Amino acid sequence: MTTVNAVLASTRAELLRLRKWPALWVMTGAWLLLNVMFVYVFNYLSYTTGSTTPRGEGIPKEALLAEMLPAAAPISAVQGLPMFGGAIMMILGALAIGSGYGWGTWKTVFTQGPSRLATTAGSLVALVLAIVAIVALTFVLDLGLSTLVAATESQTIVWPGLGDIAPALGGGVLIASMWMLGGALIGTLAKGPALGVGLGLVWVLAVENLLRGVANLLGGMDVVTDHLPGTAAGSLAGGLGAGGGTDGTPGVFTTLDTASASWLLVAYLVVFAGITAVVVRRRDLA
Amino acid sequence: MVNNSTVDAAIHTEDLRVERGGRAVLRGLSFDVPRGQVTGLLGPSGCGKSTLMRAIVGVQARCTGVVEVLGQSAGSAALRHRVGYVTQAPSVYPDLSIRQNLRFFAAVLGADQGDVDDAIAKVDLVDYADDLVSRLSGGQEARVSLAVALLGEPELLVLDEPTVGLDPVLRRDLWALFHRLADSGVTVLVSSHVMDEADRCERLLLMRDGVIIADDTPQLLRSSTGADDIEGAFLTLVDLDREASR
Ligand SMILES: Nc1ncnc2c1ncn2[C@@H]1O[C@H](COP(=O)(O)OP(=O)(O)O)[C@@H](O)[C@H]1O
Ligand SMILES: [Mg+2]
Repeated sequence: MTTVNAVLASTRAELLRLRKWPALWVMTGAWLLLNVMFVYVFNYLSYTTGSTTPRGEGIPKEALLAEMLPAAAPISAVQGLPMFGGAIMMILGALAIGSGYGWGTWKTVFTQGPSRLATTAGSLVALVLAIVAIVALTFVLDLGLSTLVAATESQTIVWPGLGDIAPALGGGVLIASMWMLGGALIGTLAKGPALGVGLGLVWVLAVENLLRGVANLLGGMDVVTDHLPGTAAGSLAGGLGAGGGTDGTPGVFTTLDTASASWLLVAYLVVFAGITAVVVRRRDLA
Repeated sequence: MVNNSTVDAAIHTEDLRVERGGRAVLRGLSFDVPRGQVTGLLGPSGCGKSTLMRAIVGVQARCTGVVEVLGQSAGSAALRHRVGYVTQAPSVYPDLSIRQNLRFFAAVLGADQGDVDDAIAKVDLVDYADDLVSRLSGGQEARVSLAVALLGEPELLVLDEPTVGLDPVLRRDLWALFHRLADSGVTVLVSSHVMDEADRCERLLLMRDGVIIADDTPQLLRSSTGADDIEGAFLTLVDLDREASR
């Protein structure tokens, strides 16, 4: 097999496996559920009842409704990705790549299959394709729900234009892929999913925020915190139009402009994938 | 007895040494494994069988000496499709079914998807093909790993204790499978720490403490040591060695 064929073969194999893999469906389900809860259920409840959910305070009713209408669906589909969606994607990467060490499946592939680099590249490509599908699925779901909201609230339906859809979904794929590759890297370094899942969650949900807190107290730290993976992810989401600020979506920032945030994400993505490749290639198989 | 048919040997080693954790685990092994036969690698737990097999498939670090497999240096890229390796621990996805696992590996290894059902039949798991691997017994799981190794139709099969813990009927069936494979030209190297499996092999490598203490057919090994069985032969060889080093 040529290298390209080997990468393709392994992408195809990994897609086959991912489709049948319960963990992928569980995580996709968890992500969709969280997305629907935060974008539609909670907002709709506070919109109709005026009750004080955390997001209800200080946001005008029209703004709440606007977030739930079809025109906002592209952003709705991706605004959770910098933080809780990112955590889920990180778990996905860590599980998909890390599990193979505990189960010994990498050993089988690496001793009998094409080169280690080609098989690893194939797996990562397949995971990115899975993320493309998840983001697209989220968008379709949100488009459906927002149409329902518009119909229920007798709003005129304004469809999002391609000029809104493409950057939002593209940005979402970039953010989710960056986190997934981060998870894949930790899963590879730890030779197992558990540490990857744990470290990933702690990082995405706690460490970055703590560092930002410290940076507020100490001068000079913001050079670091402004360039963390989560800052880049949150800034891209913010630049695409996700609601940031204190009462907005958690993990969404306006720290960096869209272009620098995108390039920084690409850089993280390349570095994560690169280190994974080097480690996989050089390591002795236990 | 020294086997000199190095040209045609499936595996050829010269002064193979491996250190693990600062200890010499393989201490200068030189032997040949002939093609198209079932060769048993027998020795007590911890004597270095798995380490030797890892050196043969080319995943063991800190190896010195010569290890040639099918005429090429062990672990070289060209050998990947020609060598099948089943580790002691199962190495398949527990949360996929048997058939899904084999489809996955067939796709990665570039094997024909049509080989999937053949491989499942060879290891006698047709009735369980759609069961999740996590629901199988240890013996069944080990056979799934074996089926994966059979997918690419390898010329050399390296099997690390494939029959441990299996019921006698299944063990007999697996040995019959190894011999069928050998008859079709495949070289099969099987390790075991159970000496009574020796008579199922055409050729034996007896190993102790990182050294090959015998390399012969079971019949010749018994007659040369005057022992009734291979366990007896093993003990005689160890005693002789002790006397010699005294
Ligand atoms: N990862 C390791 N690091 C250091 N020593 C090891 C490692 N794995 C095995 N060993 C040692 O190498 C020796 C041979 O092990 P192994 O090849 O697994 O034996 P066998 O397969 O015959 O039971 C043992 O003494 C074992 O303690
Ligand atoms: Mg062993």
